[in-house]
Amino acid sequence: MQNFLAIALQTIQEYAPPQPTAAYGDNGSIWQHMSDALHQSLYRVLSLLIAVLPGILAFFIALAVFALIGMALSALLRRGLTLLKFDDRLTRNRGNIDWAPSSSPTALVGRVAFWGCVLLGLIIGVSAIDASFATGTALPVSILPYLTHAVGAIFLLIAGTLIARFLARSVLIGAVNAQLQYARFLSLGVKWLVLVLTAAMVLDHLQVGGNIVELAFGILFGGIVLTLALAVGLGSRDLVSRSLESHVERTGDRRAVTPPAEPAPSPSESIRHF
Amino acid sequence: MATAHPIPDTRSSSAPPGNGLLVTVAEMPAEQLESVFRSLTSTFPTEELIVAAPNQTGAADYPTLRILPTQATNAIWPLTATDFVNAHQLAVEHKARAILMLGPGANSLSSAALHNLANAALGTQTDLAVPHYKLAANAGLVNSAILYPLSRALFGSRVRYPLAIDLGVSLRMAERLAHAGHRFTALNQGDSILWPGDEALVAGYTVDEIDVGSRMLPQPAEPNLNAILALVTGSLFSEIEAKAAFWQRPRRLPTTSGPVTKMLPVEGTVDAAPMVEAFRLAYTNLQEIWSLVLTPNSLLGLKRLSAVEPAAFRVPENLWARIVFDFLIAYKLRTINRGHLLGAMIPLYLAWVAGHVNVTASGTDAELHIEAVAAAFEADKPYVVSRWRWPDRFNS
Repeated sequence: MQNFLAIALQTIQEYAPPQPTAAYGDNGSIWQHMSDALHQSLYRVLSLLIAVLPGILAFFIALAVFALIGMALSALLRRGLTLLKFDDRLTRNRGNIDWAPSSSPTALVGRVAFWGCVLLGLIIGVSAIDASFATGTALPVSILPYLTHAVGAIFLLIAGTLIARFLARSVLIGAVNAQLQYARFLSLGVKWLVLVLTAAMVLDHLQVGGNIVELAFGILFGGIVLTLALAVGLGSRDLVSRSLESHVERTGDRRAVTPPAEPAPSPSESIRHF
Repeated sequence: MATAHPIPDTRSSSAPPGNGLLVTVAEMPAEQLESVFRSLTSTFPTEELIVAAPNQTGAADYPTLRILPTQATNAIWPLTATDFVNAHQLAVEHKARAILMLGPGANSLSSAALHNLANAALGTQTDLAVPHYKLAANAGLVNSAILYPLSRALFGSRVRYPLAIDLGVSLRMAERLAHAGHRFTALNQGDSILWPGDEALVAGYTVDEIDVGSRMLPQPAEPNLNAILALVTGSLFSEIEAKAAFWQRPRRLPTTSGPVTKMLPVEGTVDAAPMVEAFRLAYTNLQEIWSLVLTPNSLLGLKRLSAVEPAAFRVPENLWARIVFDFLIAYKLRTINRGHLLGAMIPLYLAWVAGHVNVTASGTDAELHIEAVAAAFEADKPYVVSRWRWPDRFNS
C-alpha cells in the first residue's frame, strides 16, 4: 500500500498537467490531443483516489475499533446483567405481557450495545470518507446524505420484512382458527401487501424511480386489496354475517357471565371448554 | 378426596389469632347473591362470619350478616390478582382466621360444599382448600387437556381444577397469594390469573382437595376460544417458567385416598367431525409454524392423524403430552411470538377434544381417559426437564 501511494504521489508530482490551449487545430496531431486528455483524466482520478484512500482506511479502522469496543461492552453488559439476575428480576416484575421478544432481555441489551457501537463506527467512518471525498474533488459534493438515506432504506427494508412476516403469521393463524379455507391465500396476500408497500417506501427513500414507483405501487397495492376483498367478500359471506350477528348480540352486555341455566345445546355447542 | 402434599406442614405458631371466617363473593346477579347469602346463613354461625360483596342487593334481608361493601373487580370468571389482594387486605383489617372465596355462580354450590371448604381452611392442617367439582364429561376440557395434566406432571399436584374459582385459604396462604397478586396489580395487571395450587406447593403449604359435587362453572364472557385459551394457557406457561427451579426437582405425587371419581354423563350429543376438520385445515396450513415448535416425531404423528377418519380419531396420550411440552419449551425459548404460538396450539387442542369425545362416546369413562393423559404427562416429564435445561436436544 505504501509503495503504491509513493508511486502515485511521485507520478502526480512529476506530472505537469498541460494547460489547455486554443491551438487544437494548429500543429499538434489528434493523437497528441487524445494523449493530453487521457493524462488529464488520469491525473484527476488518481488525485481523487489518493484523497479518498485515507478516508477509506479511516472508515475500516473506525469500524473495526468500534466493533471491538462493541464486543467488549456487550460481553461486559451480559456478564454484569447475568450476575445481577436481570432476566429473572424482569420476568418477576413484569407479569404477563403480550409483547415478548424472542431473546432474553440480557441478550437484547448486549446486542443493542454491540450494534450501537458498530453504527457509531459506521457513522464516523462514513464521515471520514465524506470529508476526504469533499477535499479530493473539485465539486463540493457530499456522499453522506445519500449514505444516510441508504442506511435508512436498509432499516425500512428490515422492518418491513419483519412486519410482513409477523402479519402474515397472525393472519394465517387467525384465519385457520376461524376455519377459513383460503387462510394461506389471505396470509400471502397480506404478506405481499406489506412487502410491496415496503419496497415502494424504500425506493422512494432512495429517490429512485420517481413517479414510476408511485404509479406501480398504486396499481399493485390496489390490485392486491381488490383481489383480497373479492376473495374474502365472496368466500365468507356467511361467516361475516354470523360474526356480525353475534357481535350485535354481545354488545348488549359484554361483561355478563353466561347464565348457569342454559337451554338444550346443539351438538356443536355441547362442548364446554371451561 | 383430601390429598395432602408430601411437603410437611411448616405453619408457624406465630399466626395471629382471628375472629372468624371472611367470605368474599364475586359480583353476580341479585338472585344468585341472595341464594349465596341464604346458604351462608344456614351453614355458619353468623357472629363468626364476615361477608364481602361488591353489590349489596338483598343484604337487608339478612340483618344478622356482617356484609362489607367491596370494590367490584373485573373478575368475571376465575379469581384474579386483585381479588386475592383485596381479600387479604379485608382479612387483615377484620382479623379473620380464614377466607372463603366464592367465584361467579357460587349459588350452585351446596351448603355442604361451602361448609367443607370453609372448615378445611379454618382448621389447622390446611392452608389451601380447593374444590373438586363433579362436571359432565364434555365440560372443563381445557382443564382436563392442559391445566390438570401439566400441573400434576410438573408440580406434583393432584388438584383436579387448578384454575381458581372457589377457594378456602388460611391467612398465611392469603398473604402469600396477595404478595403474588401485588406483582401484577403494581403493573396495572390486576386481571391476571393466579395459580394458588402451585403457589401453595412452592411455599410448602398444605393443600386439600374437597369434594363439592356438581357446580355450574362460569363461562368466560368472551366467546372467542382463541383469546381465552391463549390467556389461560399463557398464564400457566408463565407460571411454570417463573417456578422452573421448583418443578425441575424430582417430585413424588401424593397418593389418592380413593378410586377415580366418575364424571357426569355428556350433556347432549357432541359431533367430533367439525373439530377434526379444523385440525385437518390447520395441518395443511400451519405446518411451517408447527415445524418450528414440534419434534419430527410429533409432526409424523400429526401426519398420521390427519388421515384418520373422524369416527376413529384419537390423539394418543403420549403424543399429546409431547405436543404440550414442546409448546411449553417454545414458549420459554420464545421460538416464535407467544401470541402466535398459543394460537397455533388451538387446532391441536381441538384435535385432542375430538379424540376425547370419541373416547367417551365409546363407553370409556372420561375421567379414566383424563387420568391416562395425566399419566402420560408424568411419564414424559424427564423429556421436558431435559429440554428445558438443554433446548438443543431435540430428539431425546
